[in-house]
Parts: sequence; structure tokens; C-alpha cells
Amino acid sequence: MRTSPILAANIWEMMHGGSTHLPIALMLISAVFDGLGCVIRSVRLREQFHAAGLFTLIAATLGAFPAVLSGLVLARWEIGGTGPLFWHHVFIWPSFALLVGLSVWRVIVRGRRSKAGLLVYLGLAFLAALLVSAAGFWGGEILLINS
Amino acid sequence: MNRISVALEFRAALLAMLSALMVLGGALGSAALMRAGIERSRTETAAANKGGSVLSPIAAQGAKLFSLNCAHCHADDATGDEGPDLHGLTKSDERIKAIITNGIKGEMPSFRKKLREADQEALIGFLRSLK
Repeated sequence: MRTSPILAANIWEMMHGGSTHLPIALMLISAVFDGLGCVIRSVRLREQFHAAGLFTLIAATLGAFPAVLSGLVLARWEIGGTGPLFWHHVFIWPSFALLVGLSVWRVIVRGRRSKAGLLVYLGLAFLAALLVSAAGFWGGEILLINS
Repeated sequence: MNRISVALEFRAALLAMLSALMVLGGALGSAALMRAGIERSRTETAAANKGGSVLSPIAAQGAKLFSLNCAHCHADDATGDEGPDLHGLTKSDERIKAIITNGIKGEMPSFRKKLREADQEALIGFLRSLK
């Protein structure tokens, strides 16, 4: 029996919609936590914010895998595309790579980071947050066009 | 901060870049492979539909766009599913473009923002190749 293409597309649409928002939100909040960890005076609180930043970053990275996979299936494995899909991909691929890279760096370095290292990390984390937000925006544009 | 932590940070940065490249390469590479498989089977189907003849470049581009934008409703082979069968269309090119651009209220979405003039031409090229 043939599965209806529209039903299959709807299932992947639901999976993609359900799996993308968590990593986007976690990436944003991770950058905010680490940013707060840099400006707060209390050493204890600072470390707690950095720890929260690390765990939310790891959760965002783990959550990004099903989001990317469901998106690829939904787009029929298209990694470029045209129109909003193209722009969605322009932002999603670098943000996905950044998420993975930042997580690996944080897990290895943990608390043994230098001030300069932390500043570079923070810059890249905010860049990843911006990129993932832009990818989310273009993802929404695809939905609006298809609705 | 001492040298040890900076050295650790550099090593971690190298590993991080390597991991990011590997994951990205894996995702893009596997997607490209899957995509190539889909396109190969599509081209074979289209060639079979045309009695073994090969699609023109514009129709091949249209077939790709069809697979991404239209196949969900009109089926992979354009024989229709939720949307109608698109073989042997008798509508004019302008009428097809208008439908792609504006959609059909309650039946088909507008592709105004997604498919530009050149994309529409390619799609029509593909649709005209369907017999």
C-alpha cells in the first residue's frame, strides 16, 4: 500500500516543527546564561550561570540532530534549494556546525578556560544564537508560503 | 591564566573544529547521496515516461523543482494524489504560471515567493514533457 505523500510530509512537518524550537530556545538561553556569567560579580553565581550555559548548550546540540534530520527528510534531502528554503539552509548549516563545535570545546575545556578563550567563545555563541534565529525566521517564512 | 589552559583551549578548539566539520560533512554528504538517489530515480521515471528520451536541461531543472514543491500533492510521478494529475495539461503557459503564482483558493497554496519566473518556466518545461 502506498503512503500518501501529503500524509508523510505532514508527519515530517510535525516532527520538524516539534523538534526545532527546543534547540533554538536552548541555544539562545545558553548564550544569555554565559553572558550573565561574565558580568555577575558573585563568583559562585558566575560559575552556576556558566554551568547552566554548558548544560543548555549540550541539550541544544543534542536536540539539533533530530531537528536537522527531520528537516532534511522534509526537504527531500535538499541541502540548498530556492527561495526561503535556500536562506533557511544558508543559516542552518553554519549554526549547526557552530553548535557542535562550541559544545565539544566547552565539554573539553569546562572550567579551565582563560578570559580570552571565554570571550571568543561568547562571541561565537552569540553568533550561533543569531544564525539559528535567522534560520528559524526563514523556516517560518516557508511555513507561511505553504499555508 | 597559565600556558597549560591556553594550550588546552587550542587543542579543544582544534578538536571542536574537526568535530563540527565531520558532523556537517556527514550531514551534507549523506543528504547529497540520498538526493542523488532520488534524482536518479526521478530522471529514470521521466525518461521511461518519455519512451527512453532524456529530459532537456530546463525540464530537468523543472523536475527538480517539481519534486521539492509539487510532488507532495501531485505525487512523485505527477499522476495526482491530493492534487490533480498533471499529465497532458491543456492550459496555456500563462494560465499555469498564474496558478503557480496565485494558487487556487482553498485548494492550492500560492508559490509567488518561492518560485520565480525562471523557476516557473522550468516547471512548465517539465510539465510539458509529461505525456
